[in-house]
Amino acid sequence: MNRRFLSPWVTVRVQFVLAAFFVVAGIAKIADPPGFAHEVHNYQIVPGALVNVMALVLPWLEVITGVCLFLGIAVRTSARILGILLAVFIAALSINLARKHPVECGCFGTAKVQKTDAQRLTDMKWAIARDVGLLLLVAQILAASRADVRRP
Amino acid sequence: MLAAAVVCAAVSNAVAGPERHLRWIGSYEAAPGGTSAAARPAGGPQPTPAASSSVTGAAASSAAARAFPPHPEKPWAEISGDDVVSLHERGDVPILDARRTSVYREGHIAGARPFSIWESDVDDKVKAFFTEGHDPSQPIVVYCSGGECEDSHMLATKLHMAGFDNALVYKDGFPDWQKRGLPVHTGDTP
Repeated sequence: MNRRFLSPWVTVRVQFVLAAFFVVAGIAKIADPPGFAHEVHNYQIVPGALVNVMALVLPWLEVITGVCLFLGIAVRTSARILGILLAVFIAALSINLARKHPVECGCFGTAKVQKTDAQRLTDMKWAIARDVGLLLLVAQILAASRADVRRP
Repeated sequence: MLAAAVVCAAVSNAVAGPERHLRWIGSYEAAPGGTSAAARPAGGPQPTPAASSSVTGAAASSAAARAFPPHPEKPWAEISGDDVVSLHERGDVPILDARRTSVYREGHIAGARPFSIWESDVDDKVKAFFTEGHDPSQPIVVYCSGGECEDSHMLATKLHMAGFDNALVYKDGFPDWQKRGLPVHTGDTP
């Protein structure tokens, strides 16, 4: 069971899924940096002076790591970076959920539809669940590549 | 990878148009509650006597100045939709839209000008607005999307830093204006 879960067949597909997700998410944010800066600011976690730096660099980091995963370049490093990003996203959403401060996820750029606070809070829970799922995919890649390293 | 991301971000930001460009260091602080005075830079622009006299001559202006006195001690005062309607009817009160320009295009208060706080040319717009010779003690209405939207408060803080003492934040913002069925324009022009 464990061997099948860590097989190259599964790992390659997991890499493609993660790569597709982060490339699409990154491009959506790159298309509108001020919109993403707005979303980052709304989280009320990042200091005002750093909001723009984050809004400019983070989407490119997502795209580059996504492309690396897709091409099979520096897979472990890419997976680690995406794992850290996902952990940060989960923490940011959880902090705002805990203080009942509804925010747009901003995961795929600026939201086009106006939502109520209740809808936003529900969406935040779903976004956390999705990010936990993606984190499990990252764990699979790291575990599989570790098994590869150990294999003689 | 981080270095590559920084380089890509720098290049894409350098070639981005004004609506997509971001300054690397943001300044998005809004004084909490509008109760504390935002520190103005010592070398900041100050109103000229000639500039002040260009708007204060109108009788309507002085009437509104009594209704909405300047508040140099704080960056903004919040006002209701009824207040905005009365100021809008006067026709000589600048109304500034702090939302994104793309959203402004889809619909804005008739006569409002785009001053998106999230776009890199906002400081240039504030400077240009200052040089137009508006009396800094006269009301300026700023709005965004109402609710938890802070864009109008941030723009009011910028105006305050530039020397304007009477920025009035339309608390309920554009959704309230639409709900009231008041005149809305679309497109790039006020």
